[in-house]
Amino acid sequence: MSLKRTIPMTTVSGFAVSAFFVVTILNILIKNMPSNIYRAGDELLKLNSSEGVANAVTTVVVYFRGFDTLGEIAVLFIASLGIGLVLKSTTKEKIESEESNFMLKTGAKLLSPIILIFGLYIMIYGHLSVGGGFQGGVIIASGVLLLLTSSNHFHISHRVVERLETFAGVSYVMIGLIGLIVMDSFLGNFLPHNISQMGLLLSGGIIPIIYIIVGIKVGSEMSVIVDNMLKRDIDD
Amino acid sequence: MSSIYFIALPLLFGFAVPILSKIGKDGVAYTSLAMQTLLTLLSITLALKLDSPIVEVIAIAPPLGIALVVDSVSILFVTLFTSLTLATSIYYMGGRDKIKYKNENKFFILLNMLLASAIGLVLSSDIFNIYVFFEIAGISAYILASYNKTPEALEAGLKYLITGAMASIFLVFAIALIYLHLGTLNLALISQNFNTLSGEIQLLIATLLLIGFGFKVEIFPLNFWVSDIYEGSTSLVNGLFSSIVSKAYLFVFFHILYLLLPHHSFTNFLIYLGVVSLIIAEIVALRQRNIKRLFAYSSLGQLALLFIAFSIQTTDSIYAGLYIILAHSLAKMVIFLSISYISDRYGSEDIEIFSTLNSPFLKWVLVISMLSLLGMPLFAGFVGKFLLLKTLGGMGSYGVVGAILFASLIEAIYYFKLIGMLFNSRERGESINISPTQKSILSALAIAVILFGVAPFIISDWLNVASEAMINSHIYQNIILGVKI
Amino acid sequence: MIETILNFLNQKEVIQATVVIGSMGLFLIGLFGLLTQRHFIKLFISIEIMEVSIFLLFIGLSFQRGLTAPMLGDGIKTFTNMNDPIPHAMILTAIVIGMAVLALGVSMAIEYHKLTGITDVDKMNRLRN
Repeated sequence: MSLKRTIPMTTVSGFAVSAFFVVTILNILIKNMPSNIYRAGDELLKLNSSEGVANAVTTVVVYFRGFDTLGEIAVLFIASLGIGLVLKSTTKEKIESEESNFMLKTGAKLLSPIILIFGLYIMIYGHLSVGGGFQGGVIIASGVLLLLTSSNHFHISHRVVERLETFAGVSYVMIGLIGLIVMDSFLGNFLPHNISQMGLLLSGGIIPIIYIIVGIKVGSEMSVIVDNMLKRDIDD
Repeated sequence: MSSIYFIALPLLFGFAVPILSKIGKDGVAYTSLAMQTLLTLLSITLALKLDSPIVEVIAIAPPLGIALVVDSVSILFVTLFTSLTLATSIYYMGGRDKIKYKNENKFFILLNMLLASAIGLVLSSDIFNIYVFFEIAGISAYILASYNKTPEALEAGLKYLITGAMASIFLVFAIALIYLHLGTLNLALISQNFNTLSGEIQLLIATLLLIGFGFKVEIFPLNFWVSDIYEGSTSLVNGLFSSIVSKAYLFVFFHILYLLLPHHSFTNFLIYLGVVSLIIAEIVALRQRNIKRLFAYSSLGQLALLFIAFSIQTTDSIYAGLYIILAHSLAKMVIFLSISYISDRYGSEDIEIFSTLNSPFLKWVLVISMLSLLGMPLFAGFVGKFLLLKTLGGMGSYGVVGAILFASLIEAIYYFKLIGMLFNSRERGESINISPTQKSILSALAIAVILFGVAPFIISDWLNVASEAMINSHIYQNIILGVKI
Repeated sequence: MIETILNFLNQKEVIQATVVIGSMGLFLIGLFGLLTQRHFIKLFISIEIMEVSIFLLFIGLSFQRGLTAPMLGDGIKTFTNMNDPIPHAMILTAIVIGMAVLALGVSMAIEYHKLTGITDVDKMNRLRN
């Protein structure tokens, strides 16, 4: 006895349309592989050592393309604002679920300090080796998530987080404006950044400072997002 | 006098709102108003004193870094956006004792972020930076659309978000291909080297850009949910979308297109797309009973008209297009601001409320705006449409002329129906008294509509320089690549 | 025998073609999901899959063999012979932005479901279509 399911027309037509589209693109891409000689990144690499930062990706993200990073921070800020707006209701309580698993509780108690310190370390280390503000902030937020899901008594104080966010955001734009006033270039590097300092913790001028600010902002915003999503209405 | 203030100040304001809300009861609102006034004055000063384009370099000189270019066409848009946002804020503050939004501070943050990102889109000269501002504008718009948190508003926000996310995917794809093949993200350098690519890749990148921006410029067939978005959000927000957001996206799309593919046969296809979009939008508008949906379809029609105007790619057609943008933004702002008041007072969004409207002032401003949108002489809408038709006739494209006239005929049917409903003497509802602040804003916008209709010579010099600046990719390349820091 | 196969696979064109085919395959899956699925969360997942496929394509094709990562480390003291840092920076930004938009979308969908109980895109017709 064969089980024959008729495939609905929408699936077939959807597959046909998308396959046609993708195969056309595939055809064009395979015939035209990128082979150019000029890359803007190579020129930026040559300029990188004058900034005194050991990690070229960090210099590109924070300094050469700092405006994009500012925009990205703005997107994250608005998203966190929107999630708080949309998910907010008059009375909110965290899910008073049953006591979480013994393994989760013990594991969280063991791991969360390590995760938080690791996140902080990665945030600060961004200009020396692999790492950075975004990465560190997300790790911190995952540590906070672990704490929130494992224990019913852990609460994030929204006032503290809001103050951290405000401080980080305002100082980022202020550093940019100070650069504008002092050096006539928004987000210019106005602190000393000697090449001889490359590889040390205090090097690169404003670059590690901005990346730490970014890390604080990302970490606090993602913790707030996670916290908002975990809370429910009291009558749910 | 740096142009970075247009973007940095609203961002600073947005981040600092928790501090500002401690100042006074209305600290946030008044700070926002003050900042927007400052920016409007700054943009008008720059517009009057601008004799050569200003390039503001951020951190490293182009083509390796990002620069903001203020030339005559970008300052036109910046002035338009700042003044319209200021008008919306003043209008909202004027009616605040009757209609106050919940979480008002967040509304001001979103409004200013929308302004900053629209200005950033217009000024930026780096394609990845344009993508970042694209996203900021998008995300502020999604939240503004669903601000009420009613199911209708959330549905509007969700539909907007899904189409917006689809748009960003195609845009990122296009940017990735551009960087892989050309090695640079600077618009001037891309435009110099774009014709070294093979024809297939050029067409692929152009198509991906068209799909990506097409969702936001609301061209057929990618505008399937636009009227739902307009219906679900409040009228104030509709005014912002229609007058500011879609114009910014339209300008960026054609700016990039003129730089990458000047005078290519691809633009012929765009003209036909615009014509189809125009006719469909106007025909569907005829059947609408909800006032916001009707004006949403009317906006779609005007955007399609602008699409046609910019796709023709001659200096005269761009002049006409810029004039239509000016006329349309002013008129639609008046209409949506008035509707936000009317629908709140009468509690309904059906077009029947036009026949029960009991306020002579509102009736007159609405009539002025609608006649301008229709294209009647003495109003601003006439100048743009007439110039466009003249250009098309001069090129011999009588088919497109016929299509535009046919669409205008359909527009005339529903606009005159609405005007008739406003002036017939039927059962009147309760009388409306609008506050003097709101009256002054609406009168200022309506007077501007009439002024630009009877005296187009006021801005004709400016628009001439602007349209030349927009169409000529060599001017733009020289501006950016000639900068030494 | 194995040698020739490995040498064939080790060529630059073959690696690049594999990257393109793989990421376009993911793009196909995402596009198919976007066009046919009706549940919110599945739509968002399809959008995310499409985004990830583009990132994969970009990074895969901008990688040049024989060059190292763009940072100083043990033994590497100068900024020469390194890969391009710009794609890394661009994708970092694009990942965060994509995630922020989708997080907002998911929370809007949660709230919409809480208010109306609808999870199907086609059934969202309170606004007359």
